[in-house]
Amino acid sequence: MANPLAQFEITTLVPIQLGGVDASFTNSGLFMVVAVTAITLFLTLGMRAHRLVPGRWQSMAELSYEFIASMVRDNVGTEGRPYFPFIFSLFMFILFANLIGLVPYSFTFTSHIIVTFAMAITVFLGVTVIGIIRHGLRFFTLFLPSGVPMVMAPLLIPIEIVSYLSRPVSLSIRLFANMMAGHTMLKVFAGFVVPLGILGGWAPLAVDVALTGFEFLVAVLQAYVFTILTCLYLNDAINLH
Amino acid sequence: MSGLGMAFRIGTELVAALAVGVGIGLLLDHWLDTGPWFLVVFFFLGAAAGMLNVYRAASGIGLAPGFPQRPEKGTEPGEEKEEHDGPAGTGRPGN
Repeated sequence: MANPLAQFEITTLVPIQLGGVDASFTNSGLFMVVAVTAITLFLTLGMRAHRLVPGRWQSMAELSYEFIASMVRDNVGTEGRPYFPFIFSLFMFILFANLIGLVPYSFTFTSHIIVTFAMAITVFLGVTVIGIIRHGLRFFTLFLPSGVPMVMAPLLIPIEIVSYLSRPVSLSIRLFANMMAGHTMLKVFAGFVVPLGILGGWAPLAVDVALTGFEFLVAVLQAYVFTILTCLYLNDAINLH
Repeated sequence: MSGLGMAFRIGTELVAALAVGVGIGLLLDHWLDTGPWFLVVFFFLGAAAGMLNVYRAASGIGLAPGFPQRPEKGTEPGEEKEEHDGPAGTGRPGN
């Protein structure tokens, strides 16, 4: 049976050395380029006709735009408008990464924790910096809820700080673990199809078909969860209570 | 946030806070050379932070540290739907 984890292997396509650092162009990088190209084509070609009554393609492009626009409006408010381009890019990047990763023989770069952690830590640092710029030192009252007796402060402040620091970790682990687990499971069941022969092979095949459908759901849902949590964190930094 | 989105969220919230707590504890111990003490303390702080995260996520009072509520933001999609379902459900018995 083929190794179900072989799909996550990084292979170097173009070796590049930048000052002793290995900055090679890998299959992971290739699929990032593919995702960005696909998003650009999807949005620009979709909106090329810009009809008043949109066709199917233009409708999909407008729907994805309006979905994120209303998400930012509902969760952050009007002050979140300057950050819409970033959040929209983040959503489309993760969504396309997850969906392109479901194509056979392709590579899912969101199944690598370093990729998801890089995105999560960018969001985390960005949100923290925005909060400090907007509220100054008052931002740190985040760690001590109002109305808490001062006796509790030495216990509560470390808990709140750990809780705050766990945000990028939970954000990155969630996306990475879901993508990796799903893809491994698909491969494990697919590996049983041929060895079980013409009689028994149908059972794992049926499971794999069902799992593929489920993976589409997970792909979209994880992009949504990552984006909405980014919105909620941004809301905390902007509308400090 | 949808129910399914919520389900995917909560599990990792608990584990991540615990991992961060243990990580901080190990780092402090390594740095200050103080036996297992920071690890023990931050393990429990991490566990508490994890439960706090889950509680906040599940009860919908905002996820951030120190958040009593989110005033005008009480209109999450899930909550709105429930309000719509309420009157429709009670209006039916007439048939």
